[in-house]
Amino acid sequence: MAKITFVQPGGASQTVEAREGDSIMQTALAHSIDGIFAECGGAMMCATCHCYIDDDRTGAASEGEQDMLECAEDEVRDTSRLSCQITVTEGLDGLIVHLPVPVE
Amino acid sequence: MLDVPLNEAVTLADLTRDPYPIYKRMRAETPVVRMAQTGRILVTRAEHTKWIKENPEIFSSDDPTTPMKPAFQAHTLMRKDGAEHRAERMAMQPSFSPKVIRSDWADLYARLADEYVSRLPRGETVDLFTDLCAPVAARILAHMLGLEEATDAEMIRWSQSLIDGAGNFGYDPKLFEISDQANAEMNALFERIIPRQKSEPNNSAFSVMLNARNPIPLSQMYANVKIAIGGGINEPRDALATIVYGLLTNPDQFEEVKRQECWDDAFEEGVRWVAPIQVSGRRVTQDVEIGDVAVAKDERVLTIQASANRDEAIYGDTGEDFNVFREKHPHQSFGSGPHHCAGAQVARRTLGQIMLPLLFDRFPNMTLEDPSKVVWSGFGFRGPLNLPVTLN
Repeated sequence: MAKITFVQPGGASQTVEAREGDSIMQTALAHSIDGIFAECGGAMMCATCHCYIDDDRTGAASEGEQDMLECAEDEVRDTSRLSCQITVTEGLDGLIVHLPVPVE
Repeated sequence: MLDVPLNEAVTLADLTRDPYPIYKRMRAETPVVRMAQTGRILVTRAEHTKWIKENPEIFSSDDPTTPMKPAFQAHTLMRKDGAEHRAERMAMQPSFSPKVIRSDWADLYARLADEYVSRLPRGETVDLFTDLCAPVAARILAHMLGLEEATDAEMIRWSQSLIDGAGNFGYDPKLFEISDQANAEMNALFERIIPRQKSEPNNSAFSVMLNARNPIPLSQMYANVKIAIGGGINEPRDALATIVYGLLTNPDQFEEVKRQECWDDAFEEGVRWVAPIQVSGRRVTQDVEIGDVAVAKDERVLTIQASANRDEAIYGDTGEDFNVFREKHPHQSFGSGPHHCAGAQVARRTLGQIMLPLLFDRFPNMTLEDPSKVVWSGFGFRGPLNLPVTLN
């Protein structure tokens, strides 16, 4: 188990117990976190699980992930990640995930 | 574990006419069932269809036995898996990204939508399907693909020829003659406009592919553009017609949608209610269980997203109804997994945020006098074939 904290653009946050082996995206869906849609179900094909993570423990985005991030709806930053591409491990305990501001 | 049950009664003609009562019964009684007429296995429950789409190692898109290859004269990305599929898809994905939709297509579509809606005669009864839904879908697509030279009529005819060819499971040579003719016309146009695409690059799909740093082979660019023509007209066309039908046959909801201006919700409910692409095919790569049914390697399964979108397990007893204000649940009309619809964002933006508000701002009291005159048809692709509305 690892504790993951999701922070909404307005500042509201929710800390959940994530199952090891799940992706951050699956963790978000399991806890009905606003802002993560994951339309393609984790195939790195839709960028609707976009989030911001400023934490070295999650490594860097792969080339394919970077290409898909270019297609994200919301503002893309240096800390942008697709949450489907990060697997929860005990080592990620305490990770903070910021959700993007929804685009009108 | 059960063997795959056999359904010898249901025919493609039944499913083309009115599939929903049949799917409802299948979900309840035989959610994984072989349809004798096609030999293929129909999967009708939401949890199974989603799972199949999201596990391409077990359920491959690569199926050499479909008529898609002769219809498109190419092995297209729709029938590929893994890295090969990704490379071809990502070659044109930038053209359909939210960024480019905002920078290029949204304003253009707003202008086109205004132009086409402005042609409609107030106070008269018109067929909205032929007078708006199809041509406006063709025009925006021509721009997004970089084929401005093609007429609406050509785009519509090519699209239909490709679809009819790709659905030609009976391998009728006449249908392939028609798709061959369309392919020849499209190839000639593509060849003619390559110099323009190279000298004046823009964000259209053909231009982006041609001018990429590491371009995919030209033959695959052609195939990609054809896939977009085959899929990019009938789907927004059918979605628009379906949503308008749903609203006009549910006046209470129509009034409330106008009041709340929740056109995005009307869009999502319309495509949930009658998915423009109802069915997808996959090849089974290993012995597997779908629910409690054993399915053998090399079987062909058809996921019925049309049915998944009305599954009682998600929508209770009301899935068959058009209800913009239902509790929100993700539908499967854009699919899931690696082949998730590349045009999903384009469709949401153009139809949900531009066309619907514009159309009903112009004709807030549009009516459909006789819904029984609307003919619905389609097994693989479904929508109304006509939509006689009075414009007020």
